[in-house]
Amino acid sequence: METTIEVKELCKSYAQIKAIENINISICRGEVFGLLGANGAGKSTAIECILGTKKQDSGTVSILGMNPKKNRKKLFERVGVQFQEANYQEKIRVDELCEVTASLYKNTLDYGVLLEQFGLYEKSKSLVSELSGGQKQRLFIVLALIPDPEVVFLDELTTGLDARARREVWRSLSQLKEKGITILLTSHFMDEVETLCDRIMILKNGESIFCGSVKEAVEASPYEKFEDAYLWYTDGEGEYENI
Amino acid sequence: MKTFKTLLKTEGKLSLRGLDMFIFAICMPIVVVIILGAVFGDKPAFDGAEYTFLEQSFGAVSTIAICAGGVMGLPLVVSDYRSRKILKRFKVTPTDPALILAVQVAIYALYSLASLILVYATGALFFGFQLKGSLLPFLGAYLLVMLSMFSIGVLVGGIAPNTKIAGAAASLLYFPMLIFSGATLPYEVMPSAFQKAADILPLTQGIKLLKAASLGLPMNRVFIPIMVMIVIAVICISISLRFFKWE
Repeated sequence: METTIEVKELCKSYAQIKAIENINISICRGEVFGLLGANGAGKSTAIECILGTKKQDSGTVSILGMNPKKNRKKLFERVGVQFQEANYQEKIRVDELCEVTASLYKNTLDYGVLLEQFGLYEKSKSLVSELSGGQKQRLFIVLALIPDPEVVFLDELTTGLDARARREVWRSLSQLKEKGITILLTSHFMDEVETLCDRIMILKNGESIFCGSVKEAVEASPYEKFEDAYLWYTDGEGEYENI
Repeated sequence: MKTFKTLLKTEGKLSLRGLDMFIFAICMPIVVVIILGAVFGDKPAFDGAEYTFLEQSFGAVSTIAICAGGVMGLPLVVSDYRSRKILKRFKVTPTDPALILAVQVAIYALYSLASLILVYATGALFFGFQLKGSLLPFLGAYLLVMLSMFSIGVLVGGIAPNTKIAGAAASLLYFPMLIFSGATLPYEVMPSAFQKAADILPLTQGIKLLKAASLGLPMNRVFIPIMVMIVIAVICISISLRFFKWE
């Protein structure tokens, strides 16, 4: 299988505190990879270093064979990103945000079709700020898909959603997976990870303490349920180092 | 170019939806012209002056929109887009985040030019206003003042740690300049102590330059204002390039 995301020995510290240390990730085309860990475990730092919005202290990153800093313009024609917080203008409408997003890329999918696919077409003229939580998150998936990407980064996609909205988002993600898109996501919900992810990495204090499939994670732990296994992996001092 | 046009169209719509700039950059200067015209009519600026009071004030009133856009609109939008991580999101697209700043500068420049035309039209239609100086030097001076004031705005928005501080700094710059630089309250009617204090405001210098250009007075008398405008622009642009915070 072709490798789409390759991270080698990634390290980053803020002042004296290590945010991530010696992270190695290799993701194949069409795979859904989950990056897990408590708040402050280093997930966001890892994603930002991979995307090139933060500079790592050492280590290398390659996405679709390109360096995200050096080949930014070329690479991000083929990569869709959804950050943790919503990043849109206060009074912007759904169709306007889609149109602006589409204008940033050379080749794009028809956002009307995407909105239709994600059940948002009748919301085109609504203000983004007036959408419900689930509708917003589906819109952010649409935005990440507008460049017709081969790789998608989704940071805490379903945080703050109710059960039904989360299911809607899962369904959407399964569709992407069927299309062969590589997805790197972070999540705090273990049922979600179990449903969606082919492989996971669990971070604790910036270090990888497990990497493999959900099944392997459960087998290597004394528990039978993944959530219990996850808590067992991440247990310990349980300190929150808000980084 | 496609990106710039789409952004300009959408950001322009968003800005109009906000209404603030429509009120402070478009309506307010027209109201000031009407008040000045109604109060002073076509009286000469002073005994024996070759130009009317309104003609003397034209340059000043034409900067109200520059002031609103430059030191109020720009700092707020730049810090807002940073705190909303819109600038950061642009970094994970093929487009440079600087483009959306360029679009904002273009929008405020369009407001200023629209205001200039409307102020001129109002003065000409209702109060017989005429531009005594020639058009090109006036436009040149206008663009220089705009560049200088906008560079202050981008700098303030670019280095303010958050939107609150940007808002406070914008108010500190905007209101004193709007009231005391001569843009609304004519500089010429201020007591001389006031005038001396007003002279330290950058916009006061810009208005002196525009007054000379609009009245066709000899430009060598406004050498200092020209230099002040250029120096401010150079300093603000260099600091912005060096210290602008994208996130």
